[in-house]
Amino acid sequence: MDLSTKIFDAEIINNALKIEDTLIISDLHFGYETSLNNQGLMIPQYQFDRVLSSLENIQKKANANNIILNGDIKHNFGSISKQEWKEVLSFIDYLSDIYVDIKVIKGNHDTFTQYILNKRDLILEDEVILGKYLITHGHAIPENISENVETIVIGHEHPCIGIRNQERVEKVKAFLKGEWNGYNLIVTPSFTPISHGSDILHEKTISPFIEDVLEFEVFAVEEDEVFPFGFVKDILNIEQYENY
Amino acid sequence: MNIEYSDDHIHSLLHPFVSKWFKSKFETFTDAQRQAIPHINAGKNILILSPTGSGKTLTAFLAILSGLTSLSERNLLEEKVYCIYISPLKALDNDIFKNLEEPINGINNIAGHDVGIRQAVRTGDTTQYQRSKMLKHPPHILITTPETLSILLVAPKFREKLKSVRYVIVDEIHSLAENKRGTHLSLSLERLNELTGGFTRIGLSATVSPPDEIATFLSGYSWGTKRECEIINVNYLKQLDMQVLCPVENIIETDQETLTKELYNLLHKLIQQHKTTLIFTNTRSGAESVSYKLTQHFPKYYNTNNVMAHHSSLSKEVRLETENQLKDGNLKVVVSSTSLELGIDIGYIDLVILISSPKSVSRALQRIGRSGHQLHEKSKGRMIVVNRDDLVECSLILKNAIEGKIDRINIPHNCLDVLSQHIYGIAIEGRQNIKHIFHLIKQAMPYKDLTWDEYEQVLRYLAGEYSTLEQRYVYAKIWVDWDSNTFGKRGKLARVLYSTNVGTIADRSHAKVKCNGQIIGNIDGDFMERLHKGDTFVLGGKVYQFKYARGMTVTVVPSGSTPTIPSWVSEQLPLSYDIGVSIQNFRAIMDWKLSTNLSQEEIINYIKDYLYVDEYAASSIYYYFVEQYLYSEIPSKNKLLIEYYTGFGGRKFVVFHSLYGRRVNDALSRAVAYIIAQRYHRDVMISIDDNGFYLSSDSKIGGAEAFEELTSDNIREILIQAIDKTETLASRFRDCANRSLMILRRYKGREKSVGRQQVTSKILLNFVKDVDNHFAILDEARREVIEDYMDIKHAQEVLKSIEEQKTIIKTVDTTIPTPFAFNLVSRGYLDVLKYEERAEFIRRMHKAIINKIQENKGNKLRKVR
Repeated sequence: MDLSTKIFDAEIINNALKIEDTLIISDLHFGYETSLNNQGLMIPQYQFDRVLSSLENIQKKANANNIILNGDIKHNFGSISKQEWKEVLSFIDYLSDIYVDIKVIKGNHDTFTQYILNKRDLILEDEVILGKYLITHGHAIPENISENVETIVIGHEHPCIGIRNQERVEKVKAFLKGEWNGYNLIVTPSFTPISHGSDILHEKTISPFIEDVLEFEVFAVEEDEVFPFGFVKDILNIEQYENY
Repeated sequence: MNIEYSDDHIHSLLHPFVSKWFKSKFETFTDAQRQAIPHINAGKNILILSPTGSGKTLTAFLAILSGLTSLSERNLLEEKVYCIYISPLKALDNDIFKNLEEPINGINNIAGHDVGIRQAVRTGDTTQYQRSKMLKHPPHILITTPETLSILLVAPKFREKLKSVRYVIVDEIHSLAENKRGTHLSLSLERLNELTGGFTRIGLSATVSPPDEIATFLSGYSWGTKRECEIINVNYLKQLDMQVLCPVENIIETDQETLTKELYNLLHKLIQQHKTTLIFTNTRSGAESVSYKLTQHFPKYYNTNNVMAHHSSLSKEVRLETENQLKDGNLKVVVSSTSLELGIDIGYIDLVILISSPKSVSRALQRIGRSGHQLHEKSKGRMIVVNRDDLVECSLILKNAIEGKIDRINIPHNCLDVLSQHIYGIAIEGRQNIKHIFHLIKQAMPYKDLTWDEYEQVLRYLAGEYSTLEQRYVYAKIWVDWDSNTFGKRGKLARVLYSTNVGTIADRSHAKVKCNGQIIGNIDGDFMERLHKGDTFVLGGKVYQFKYARGMTVTVVPSGSTPTIPSWVSEQLPLSYDIGVSIQNFRAIMDWKLSTNLSQEEIINYIKDYLYVDEYAASSIYYYFVEQYLYSEIPSKNKLLIEYYTGFGGRKFVVFHSLYGRRVNDALSRAVAYIIAQRYHRDVMISIDDNGFYLSSDSKIGGAEAFEELTSDNIREILIQAIDKTETLASRFRDCANRSLMILRRYKGREKSVGRQQVTSKILLNFVKDVDNHFAILDEARREVIEDYMDIKHAQEVLKSIEEQKTIIKTVDTTIPTPFAFNLVSRGYLDVLKYEERAEFIRRMHKAIINKIQENKGNKLRKVR
């Protein structure tokens, strides 16, 4: 029995998307802790180990040969922190042991990432084509899109939904399914374990690919479980009644 | 104990200039002055309890001014601080400064030269220029706030000027003692004690109970023994003219509309009989609504020029404007929630009206004490009741006030977040001995029972031991060397970091409200989230229409229509436990009286005598109790009534008539609901009130059997489980993380918005739970929820009484709720309690939302057809 949930033929495996033999994850934001520290939140560095262990869980199920990091590998725009040097390099080394092919796509935070990748002979790409899929970070629309592309996969948005029941609120990361300009569109959740992301039910979306979030379908993910919630507009519609 | 000295004797203690000045101004000394001046003169700690504006501050300062004059005349007055005056409000600081100018100038005039006594206000508003001036020529009397004092303690140069402080005055000490600001101050005083080698402590307080405890809070311990402290309690109650008023003859049979109309008629009548009336409501929204409705009901008499609202959601400018209008005598009425309770100067008020129960005797006295400010003038207060429960409550408050039974205040203990902040401060002062500082801390009353374990936990947190060794340089605020028994600060920025983040007042999430580009006030974050485009609401007595929100700023335009959104949420004052118990006792008496063959008249007369109320009130109370008695049972101190009834659509309700105040019921209800939810594997909804609580569910649940499992011993453990997933814990954790400087509000020149802190504190909470479920700050957040926000101590007392069978449990089945349950069940539910793992919760909610969506689609289809 196939229990997997697919969006436009791409399989959801926890916070990752699997297309053919390739895993796609986005928005790792290594170095986020340092940046929080600089803002006065004294949280120690803990995301690296978690990223590794959740990726391990995913790979157990996915058994993929290749991996694509779809943008925002590291967090700081303006510089490379010590933490970022260390963690990005260790992460690439970790991936090299497991995956045949590693591709890194440039996100809006990746202004300095290339300098780190130089050490491992990797080149940041703006987009990657995988059969009929185009994978790009999602902060900017590519100038031209090759002809056979049917589905676009983006990150950048960090989508999640806030589920509220009286006093309790739980935010759950979510994939979004919709369309843009005649193409199918998949938005992946952020991979960073530090934050759930931004609640698309209540916060404004930021990606130029998402024109009207109401028309998107939500697939919330919690560990192994996928929860198809249907369209944003329908969820919001009942929220008004229920005064969530 | 309290000896009253003669005028001559007291004058003989004062410097001739001061004595002469006093004689030129006053005929004789007040009771408080008569008792206090000799004590202060002798350098003894003293707590003075007397009403606001009874010359309390002069009482404290007279002996000090005299001492300073003597020093000056002998050319011994040096460039240092002799006296520190601390109040909770900057506004009060400024008032005191003004009030001291008079005696200081008076003394100079009599001396014929400048005696040279200097005073200065130092708060967060003091400019750099003023501060450096103060360093060159320190004020002899320093007027400040608790927060600024703790900053001064780490200021390397100014600290030196504090070394010979001889007197510390803490004003409005009752309002500090019951929260973490007071806890914070208690440690600052011990640090100051360490620096100076000791000083005379003078506490000024409104009437509170128990005075001994406040006295100990003021003076602290020395090597485990209480430092001595005299208590001077000026009997204020004699000067009180206080009554309970009912707007209608029979409050039970009057409909809401008539009641509201009569309430405003009564207000109008009272206002017109007096010059200036101060009305207190229990909520900010209530203050808004009353000032608005007065102008609506009586437009000929009241308008926005002579009726103003004053509460903490209004901007500083708006509040100041109201205060000035009040002082100038331009207002007929001012309506306030809690903001005008404290002693800032508001001019002449001849009547205070409390709409609905003030929930405690001390609050009633504090509020009513705002009237009749001239000495020897009675304070006049009227409590107007709005429903039956309110009537009973206010009557018992009146009784207790008249009989001098003041509710006991709750002083928080062992707050680890405040402790963290101070240890950091102490480390900044210099290298410290771990054991010595432990003893220093335990001198402050709130830390008397601090354990070494808790202390160590805090030191380890501050030393960054929750992070790896190599990263510790980022997280550690102090270094600890356990071998040499010493600790000290880390980092060059320590002092700046401490000084800019000091304090305990939690930043509530507030949104600024902007109208025509001007900020007119603020509203709760929760309230903002409820607003939809086009909604109208009242702020500052005026109606505004919501346009849009950006970040934490709400943009509005003035509106002429009636408000669509009635009120702010969750800001009601809880009933004091002691009043709860008094009402429960009264219920027991009534239960007994009704069971005898006493006549109606006899019982009503008894109520009149017992509660000091008039005929109308007494008969309303009588009928209310008779209804309950005939229909069911009267719950009381001896009888916990549990009522099962089935509501609309077969919904099951279990009502617990536990009239112990909301803080106790909050604890009891969550523990009971937790047990019931586990037993029945169901969602249980809770609604909490001062008079009791109820659980409800869509199918049958129990109630009484929870008490087979719940005991005074295990309630703490159960509550810790029950609150684990709540927003209450999350938001308290954020406050505690702020206070213990794990989240820095101000860092590297930036200020973090509350909204942003909320997001990041969630991250921190999840991290902390993972690292160590007994992380110092997490434990403190739990303690704060259970002990300060809820009242576990008295909940335990209630459970104990059940265990010892002093309170029996009685269950009844009813088809419609009993009269006593009526106000309770007419409120909406408040919380759902089902202990679920996150995944379980998501699964359940997913199902519910999907079903709802399907249902809506079905409805729409039907409509289309």
